[in-house]
Amino acid sequence: MSELEEIVRAEGLKKTFTLSRKQQKIEKTGEKSRIAVNGLSFSAYRGEIYGLLGPNGAGKTTTLRMLSTLIRPDAGDATVNGFSVVKQPEKVRDSIGFMTSELKLEGFFTPDYLFDFFGAMHGVGKDALAQRKRELFSRFGIDRFAQVQVKNLSTGMLQKVSLVISIVHDPAVVIFDEPTNGLDVLTAKVVTDFLLELKEMGKSILLSTHIFSLVEKLCDRVGVIIDGKMAREGTLAEVANGDLEKSFFEIYHEIKGEFV
Amino acid sequence: MKLFALIKKEFHRFFHDRRLIITMLLPGIVIFLLYTVIGEAIHTEPPKYDYKVYVEGESSVTSMIQSAVEASGNTVEWIPLGDMEAARKEVEEGEATAILSFTEDFDLFGENSAVSVVYDPMDEAGSGFYSLSLAVLQQVGMKFSIHSEPLASDESIGREVMQQILPFIIVCFVFSACMSVTLESVAGEKERGTLATILVTSAKRSHIALGKIVPLACISMLGALSSFLGVVLSMPKLMGLSVGMLGGYRFGAYVLIFLLILSFVPLIVSLISTISTAARSVKEASAYTSVLMIFVMIFSLVTAFVPAIGNWVVAIPILNAVVSMQGLLAGALPVWQSLVSVGMNLVYTAGLMFLMTRMLSSEKVMFGK
Repeated sequence: MSELEEIVRAEGLKKTFTLSRKQQKIEKTGEKSRIAVNGLSFSAYRGEIYGLLGPNGAGKTTTLRMLSTLIRPDAGDATVNGFSVVKQPEKVRDSIGFMTSELKLEGFFTPDYLFDFFGAMHGVGKDALAQRKRELFSRFGIDRFAQVQVKNLSTGMLQKVSLVISIVHDPAVVIFDEPTNGLDVLTAKVVTDFLLELKEMGKSILLSTHIFSLVEKLCDRVGVIIDGKMAREGTLAEVANGDLEKSFFEIYHEIKGEFV
Repeated sequence: MKLFALIKKEFHRFFHDRRLIITMLLPGIVIFLLYTVIGEAIHTEPPKYDYKVYVEGESSVTSMIQSAVEASGNTVEWIPLGDMEAARKEVEEGEATAILSFTEDFDLFGENSAVSVVYDPMDEAGSGFYSLSLAVLQQVGMKFSIHSEPLASDESIGREVMQQILPFIIVCFVFSACMSVTLESVAGEKERGTLATILVTSAKRSHIALGKIVPLACISMLGALSSFLGVVLSMPKLMGLSVGMLGGYRFGAYVLIFLLILSFVPLIVSLISTISTAARSVKEASAYTSVLMIFVMIFSLVTAFVPAIGNWVVAIPILNAVVSMQGLLAGALPVWQSLVSVGMNLVYTAGLMFLMTRMLSSEKVMFGK
């Protein structure tokens, strides 16, 4: 492992959320707070696809949000491309492309306008931006739809546009929360192909998912998160041990002491 | 560069959407047309009538009624009543206006004296004459002593109405103009998740706040200006005055009114932006803002009828502008009060902008469920 270069390094990340009365009522609990991520540490290396695998509520999304500086850890820190998420959030944001189903593009604008706008938001120069737009739009077949309002694009094309705009500034790391969640099979393929293309382009990718097949198809290394803690980490082969799904439930049983 | 791109985006969003432009400018045009039409209807000269009235019996009341009729610009012809049935028929057919019958030996102070009026209520002339006669008869019968006093001129009534109502109307239109663009742009973007997409970039939160407030204030100003012009140009017509009356105000008053509007538009935009940032949806933001608008409207209206408000009012945002505008429209030139109000509003705007920046950085506000 010594030849591998760490691009993301999380150390003792912790995040606790206060539960509102409404949430307490919905979840039928008397707890006033909940630990979403509890001292999580892991490393992802340059040029690989790292997958955070875990059930819903395990803390995957919270971890990715901390790494993308949308929320601040209560304790611990992480570095992305050498920048601290706590001390240098703006530099981290310029080093990452963050994608999640919660982040949307305004339907009124065209892909062309939004590409330029987000390029400016990341401080990309005009010439570099034009060059990158030509390359990416042509590579992902967006050029024919560049002047079509986003609200009139097909779901697949919209997903492509969102993906391309997330990497407008040529980030070192792409962070993707539940990349295929809620997508139909065709759009999901657009996303997985895109991630493989990014890997080919030498990008480092960090994704979260609860879908075993997606991890098996894409990831080089995997971290299994359960109850906000890292339960197991290693290469796909090490963690899967021949059968990822079986291995995951064994780990789950080990940690939770219960069968699903 | 990032701030410029943010501001440009808001302008692009507005000026490339015909519907938004129409929504913003239409109120002013509609107000102008509506108020002008209402004004025309109210102040159209009433028709003149030559009343033809049959009289039975004698009384000095007829000469009083005649005076009242003539004072209202009409004339009356008294015809001694001959055949009652024929006269009634004439009234029914609209050939005569009314029949006025006094009892024998009619005495203004006599308890047994009576007068009856026969008229057709569906006939405008008849009902007009009846109202006039009734007013005279009631005055005489109730022995009211009448003191005449010169009434205020139309111009001064107009100026008073302008002074009291115009600031309130301006605030209402500015508020609704700000509301229509800001709610959608801030709460709408937050609800749709497009604001979070901008938060993932390295743009400073303060730039994102400024990038919303500056263009939205400019756009709201356009809407406010349209409504303002609509009101100002149609107001004299509505009150039956000449547009030239607007020239009665000093140039300095217009400059100060403009400055006051210029100061409270960004204030209202910042206020609605902050509320929209805190709200979870457009619906929620809209509910909060509506309550706020009602408060602002009530305060703006109440101040119009409070004779003297202390100088402390300059510390109250928006209200300070309303009171200053009332002073300016009353013909006074409260320069220091207006300028301090402008300054205070800008300070409040800066404070709200800071608050919005903090909110944009708050995970609880931006990503809390």
